[in-house]
Amino acid sequence: MKNKSKLAFVLLVSLPLLTMTSCDGGDPIVEKAIEEVIEVVQKENTTYYQIPSPDEMFGFIKTSGLAFNGELLSDIANSDSYTDSKMQALNFGIYSADLAYTAAYEEFNETTKYFATIQKMSEPLGLNVAFDKSLIERAQANLENPDSLVAITKTSYFAIVDYLENNKQGERLGLIASAGWLETVYVTANTIDYAKDKDAVDRLADQKLALDNLLDYLEKYESEANVSEVLVWFKGLEAVFATLSDEEDETGSNLTLKKKDDGKMVLGGGSSITMSEEQFNAVKDKVNEIRNNIVKTEV
Amino acid sequence: MKYINKIVLVVVILIVPVMSFSQYCNHFHEKYCSSSENQRFQVNGQSKSALLNKGQTSNLNILVYKKMDYRISLCIEDNLGTEISFKIYEIKKVKVEKEIEHKDMEDEMGSCSECNGTGDLDGESCWDCDGAGEKPTGNEKEVITKETQVIVEKQKQLLYDNSQDDYAKVIEFTVEKSQKLVVEIKIPGEENKSNFIKSNDIGCVGLLVEHMTTPKTGF
Repeated sequence: MKNKSKLAFVLLVSLPLLTMTSCDGGDPIVEKAIEEVIEVVQKENTTYYQIPSPDEMFGFIKTSGLAFNGELLSDIANSDSYTDSKMQALNFGIYSADLAYTAAYEEFNETTKYFATIQKMSEPLGLNVAFDKSLIERAQANLENPDSLVAITKTSYFAIVDYLENNKQGERLGLIASAGWLETVYVTANTIDYAKDKDAVDRLADQKLALDNLLDYLEKYESEANVSEVLVWFKGLEAVFATLSDEEDETGSNLTLKKKDDGKMVLGGGSSITMSEEQFNAVKDKVNEIRNNIVKTEV
Repeated sequence: MKYINKIVLVVVILIVPVMSFSQYCNHFHEKYCSSSENQRFQVNGQSKSALLNKGQTSNLNILVYKKMDYRISLCIEDNLGTEISFKIYEIKKVKVEKEIEHKDMEDEMGSCSECNGTGDLDGESCWDCDGAGEKPTGNEKEVITKETQVIVEKQKQLLYDNSQDDYAKVIEFTVEKSQKLVVEIKIPGEENKSNFIKSNDIGCVGLLVEHMTTPKTGF
């Protein structure tokens, strides 16, 4: 795979230099020029902490049989109340997650409203460039096509992620992604029936691992005042998740990635995280507290 | 007529001070990495594309959930080579005991017994200690104390190395228990630590992560 744009640039620069002629007493001299392009490039960060996107969690809880609950959505009427840049970024994340939630559950009327809300909120955040015309047209044309709508909401989320990464706005991305993640945990925790929804309870317990990655990501931007305030909240949640125990495999085996007899690779062994009902309630309470800190309107 | 051929080496230095070329690599993984033919696999949001140079190592921290199947495929631009190292590690938080050394400055104490029990000997003066005991001499000395603390360290444990698998660029696996993994990619060659890199030594690398619910088998 050739990088055509790099090749084109080299050719453009080298074309005037390729041939040079000079006259010296009637003897033409043909000189060939060979150039080497050396670029100074800004070295890229080489460790990435990936934060799960909201659509993955909502796709999971839907297939797990959890019902949609519109009352959990953050009120879009409050979107104009967030004037502080930190709260705008955080609530942009909350609404983006709500958009993914409504799309996953085919709540098309709500999806339209939440898509319009994040589009409107993108402007003061300088993110409106990520919403190009074709994306908006696709969304409008596919409002009643569930698979396409989920794909479009994913595309819009990752358009924002790409834009912020490419424009070195990692701290703003951290705020948006962490609030988006929190909203998925909030919706899940407030929908689960602990006694009945075992798979969803286990997935909620596994968010301890997602939070680890999230904190590693946010700590890179700890020197930014907005991020450091949010870090305090999430470290409070980390302390609650820390009470959850890692249960070792009954064979006491370490984690392995091996081919089994049927030829399939299996990541097996190791430990799993378990959560009692009391711990579940503690996680839910803490998540609700942080979420309220984010969505409360400024007086 | 006489033709004189001259080869002129022209070095063109392009300064790209602030902007990086990483945007060239946007969606590289979606366009060039091989995706699964199994329609049940979906693109996972943890997929990533990046601009890397020869000799560079990059780590992608991801989360894989239990009862899910994952497929990770690697794609790179041709100029970066063919035998790309692709490893998967587990990150374990391990409690380890570490000896911590503390260095403090403390007052140097003189013994009162040097004055026949009545005080300290400091030059020709005899300090009154109000009985037996010690008194500061006015000097300071370094005191080293050692303390054993239990700290949490992150340790990497190798789970998969594609060099043992014919430099495979695709791996597919089922997850029994949710885990954090680190996917490490190393581009062959010597790492260039300077900021001057030849354009042929950099290129796009993509990691396409796909997931699906592990199919239930049997009746």
